[in-house]
Amino acid sequence: MSRSQHSRVAAAGAAVLAALVLLPAPVPAAADGGQKTRTIVIDPGHGGLDVGAKGKFGSLEKDITLAVALRLKGLIEQNLAYRVVLTREKDLDVSLENRSAVANNNDAGLFLSIHTNGSFRKNAQGAETFFLSLNASDEETRKLAYLENSSAALEGRISAEAKDDVTMILWDMAQAAHIRQSARLAEEIQKELNQPPLGIENRGIKQAPFKVLTGVACPAVLVEMAFISSPEEEQKLIKDEFQNQIAQALFRGIVRYLRLFPQ
Amino acid sequence: MPRPKTVLLAVLTVLLAVLAFRFIRSGGREDIRPAEDVGAPASGLSEAEARNLPRRTVTVFFARENDDRLVGEKREIPADGVPDREARAILDELLRGSLEGNLSPLPPGTKLEQVFVAKNGTAYVDFSRDLVARHPSGTSAETATIFAVVNSLTANLASVKNVLILVDGEERETLSGHLRLNRPLLPNMGLIAKN
Repeated sequence: MSRSQHSRVAAAGAAVLAALVLLPAPVPAAADGGQKTRTIVIDPGHGGLDVGAKGKFGSLEKDITLAVALRLKGLIEQNLAYRVVLTREKDLDVSLENRSAVANNNDAGLFLSIHTNGSFRKNAQGAETFFLSLNASDEETRKLAYLENSSAALEGRISAEAKDDVTMILWDMAQAAHIRQSARLAEEIQKELNQPPLGIENRGIKQAPFKVLTGVACPAVLVEMAFISSPEEEQKLIKDEFQNQIAQALFRGIVRYLRLFPQ
Repeated sequence: MPRPKTVLLAVLTVLLAVLAFRFIRSGGREDIRPAEDVGAPASGLSEAEARNLPRRTVTVFFARENDDRLVGEKREIPADGVPDREARAILDELLRGSLEGNLSPLPPGTKLEQVFVAKNGTAYVDFSRDLVARHPSGTSAETATIFAVVNSLTANLASVKNVLILVDGEERETLSGHLRLNRPLLPNMGLIAKN
């Protein structure tokens, strides 16, 4: 091999290495050829004994989140070729882990958790959409997640016992591999929440370490529709019209996202 | 008419009884003080000891009234160089509440049970159940509570890198269903008001 060939091979090798290191974990969506009907999982926040935040007039977060989730389910099933699964269809206690498990067990393409916000401030108002934040120690698990997703590199290198632990950590941080798409989904949904006729204050998209998002193995966001702790917004949140408008905004956000990332 | 000596004896007896009753009710524990006790020195040190130590200025974070940012208030604590004690002094200031018209991000009645700073930089902070039972719930309220604690400790103590919040001695998955609590949390300086 000539020297220039050597350097070309080296450069190609470096490029492949760089790609391996820099690229996020591969998205497995295309593997099934798009034949299967994909699933969207909607998570009505709280439920059962966990009432969530309470409004001054007695409204409970758990009731409003379920009402909006059912409306959104209807809209998606009428208009899109997607199956919708709710993490609860009734006023039930569901653990945060089981909520993410519903998404993973149904091989969900999208996960949307619906909440109403609460603040120490009575005049806090507005809608915001969150995706998961990773802290530095999670960064380590992200690297592990990459290893696991990209190859069977871990096989045979660690004991079965240790592997169980690693698998558990990986499962706990499944969302790490989908952060970029989750950010995009949050953006599209928040854009729609800003549109008339809703007229809610725009609090933007944010990142936070939400427990319910950590284990979800697909793009996932959490929407805070408005503040139930604000008497003014509580009055809106309990109205059918407002709930329909919110469901429609969420629906449009999902459609915009699916156009960007057809599944 | 009773003699003056008898009167004095009666008064003393009553006084002694009241003091004994209060001592028994307090459980004889000097270190537990109600959060509202504004004049309380940093716990773990006697008043005299605390007075002899040099003091240092720390910044304790509260919730701002007009937006969801955290805002710092300057407080003086005894600078004794022991991370556990300084951490407790900082959190005592947080529990005292705002002196500048900000909102207290900890529910009223919340007590600090234990503080421990581990060698690896994790501060373990154990609050009474009131932190959960009296919390208004909601992501914004949770965020304010958690990061007022985490930011106040990490901003003032070089030995604290992250904070694990416990409730009643136990790890909790979340405070009220939102942010993950069962791992040490890094500070979120992005929440602090810029002006």
